[in-house]
Amino acid sequence: MFRRRLTGVLAAGVATAAMLAGCGGGGDAADGPVTLKVLTWEPGGSEYWQQVKTTFEASHQNIKLDLQSVPFDKYPEVQGPYITSQSGPDVMANNAGLELFDRRGAYVPLGDRAAEINKDLVTYSGACEGFDTSKACFGVPFSYQGNVLYFNKDVLRGAGLDPENPPATWDEFGAACEAIKNSGKTCLALGLSGTFPAYWDFPEIARNYLTEDDIRGLLAGTLSWKDPKLVQVLEKLAEITTKGWTNKNAPSITMLPDGADIFQRGDAAFAGTIISDAVNWEAFGKALGDDKLGVTRWPVINQSAPLAGKFSGIEGAVYGVTQWSEKKEAGLEFITWLAGKENGELWVKHAKGQPLNKNVDPALLPSSPAFKKIQEFVAEPTLHAGVMLSGPEADALARGWQQITLGQLTVDKWADQMQQALERSPTKKQGN
Amino acid sequence: MSISTASAADSAVATNPPPPVRHNRRPRHAREWWLGALLVLPGMALAVTFKLVPLIRGVITSFESSSGFGDSSFAGWDNYTRMFDDPVVLASFRNALLVVATLPVWIVLPLVLAVLIHQRAPGWKFFRAVYFVPYTIAPIVVGIMFRQILSPDGPINALLRAVGLEPLAIEWLNGQNSALFSLVAVALWSFFGLGVMTYLAGLATIPEEVLEAAYLDGANFWRRLYSVVVPMLRPTVAYWSVLCASGVLIWLFPLIYALTQGGPGNATMLPEYLVFLTTFQFLDRGYGSAIGIALFVFVAVLSIFSVRHMFKEGTRKPR
Repeated sequence: MFRRRLTGVLAAGVATAAMLAGCGGGGDAADGPVTLKVLTWEPGGSEYWQQVKTTFEASHQNIKLDLQSVPFDKYPEVQGPYITSQSGPDVMANNAGLELFDRRGAYVPLGDRAAEINKDLVTYSGACEGFDTSKACFGVPFSYQGNVLYFNKDVLRGAGLDPENPPATWDEFGAACEAIKNSGKTCLALGLSGTFPAYWDFPEIARNYLTEDDIRGLLAGTLSWKDPKLVQVLEKLAEITTKGWTNKNAPSITMLPDGADIFQRGDAAFAGTIISDAVNWEAFGKALGDDKLGVTRWPVINQSAPLAGKFSGIEGAVYGVTQWSEKKEAGLEFITWLAGKENGELWVKHAKGQPLNKNVDPALLPSSPAFKKIQEFVAEPTLHAGVMLSGPEADALARGWQQITLGQLTVDKWADQMQQALERSPTKKQGN
Repeated sequence: MSISTASAADSAVATNPPPPVRHNRRPRHAREWWLGALLVLPGMALAVTFKLVPLIRGVITSFESSSGFGDSSFAGWDNYTRMFDDPVVLASFRNALLVVATLPVWIVLPLVLAVLIHQRAPGWKFFRAVYFVPYTIAPIVVGIMFRQILSPDGPINALLRAVGLEPLAIEWLNGQNSALFSLVAVALWSFFGLGVMTYLAGLATIPEEVLEAAYLDGANFWRRLYSVVVPMLRPTVAYWSVLCASGVLIWLFPLIYALTQGGPGNATMLPEYLVFLTTFQFLDRGYGSAIGIALFVFVAVLSIFSVRHMFKEGTRKPR
């Protein structure tokens, strides 16, 4: 009796498993549309991604999109197991730079397709090995990213400063911060918990000391952190907090959302963040009013440095087709469309981001004064030193900056820690 | 006195029962054995699949070297020897020892509160519920909540300043030591309700009259706790100690993630968070696994003593 029941239960289990397996395989039916599974953190927001799905599917009847959205800070935890098990989505997102190159084994090299996509983009190198378009490229970007300094005109005015002429040099910035502190406000809203502010602010200082060759050396791991140029970069980075320009709880709060909240509440004069994807000119404009929001370059330290007046630009999220996908053609079709004019216009309209496609209708571009100012900056791009950092370096940069701020570390010790982090980095180990 | 009416023969039958009929018990035993095995099998399968296999896989990975999520190569003992020269790893285990040093608080505080509730101190029903509520809040939410509460201008410091304790209003999450102990305090706030419940379950097994007798004999609260409750509650205390000893080293991840991310510097870096960072942020799977195995050994060594003690207590024959 017992044995019969057990056999019955096992048979039912096998039947259920077979039925579930059958249900799961429906997306790749030979006679129906192909379903592409896309792993994304939805840069630009869910409204924009809904538009991507609707618009793409309308013009590609044979391809359906199944978007798996993951919060940005959880993304590596979800993506990592897919890569290690060589299974999962057909298309995945990544940031350009080392983050992508650490995971490049998961993506199909684009080959000649890269040149075809590249021809309509303002710039395209962050998804190619060594930031070199003649080498293998592993994905397609559609947005442009980089750092600027946003400011609240009312706070500057309240401190007796001219909001139409924000500080342009390091010394002027220091003087402005003193005036702003005296007015009872924070000069620079900052949250140092996590790596973002460290690798956003680092390139803005680094441009005053490094050449493009140095930045490529940083990427290759051949530029030592004991090099006087990098030590000077760390010294200036340290000054941001040790000179009292920031909110005092900076070491224990995150930049997003905590640091940005301080700026959006009107409690700080400046906030150094990005131009696209997350908290950008649009979010700040909504919080403060477009007429009160200003945007400027980071203050220049060495006027004569070749990259001092440039914009540290980098492609935003890059989408690549996975090695294990059985729908590679459809995947390539989708990522090519992502980089195209149609999606560029969706990106501008719904995500309010900086597009990368040069054919986007200028009439669609936002009329915000801050956005227009950003157009001037991005016209003079250079390499973004922040994305050249490996995971251990970005982490050591962030932790060292926290310790410097709390007076627990000297700049020389910080440089030592950075060098140790470089030597620990699996990506930059010499001989790899 | 009763008089037997049974005959002598009957009496003899009664005192000498007939030899038992020899049933063949083997098939019944075999059936029970198979039933027992079937009941245990799913648990065993789950334990092997989700505990043993990942552990073995982790050990294998700890001997590999990889760059990103690409292919890996055999690294021998490199990942293990690297740990001794890595200041972050050493800092994380130093912090782990400091966290372990707080164990007496984790064990004693819930016990005291459980005894107070058990003896129906004023408001005991209210506190029984209140103590358990923090345990029901997701740790990630607790972390986000306390990031605001412990900020320099947060409510705790505002309260301290309001009652004239300005010098105590420190930057809780910014100091080298204050950050770690703030983190532990938040964890304790979050988890001690479970300890109170565990002890209350244990206290329910102590006969009321024993405690009443101690009370009537004039033993004060601490005397009753030390001389009556603790000896009778040894298995529960041992159980909670084991849970805490391993738990303080593997429960804190969500709180670190939400509250400090291991900072400032490495002040709140614990091995479990470092495993996550090394594997998923630095993409160094082999090294991350080696740190994970080192943590496993660390927790196992810590737990073995408690488990052995607990086993002895559990199997000790009553005097």
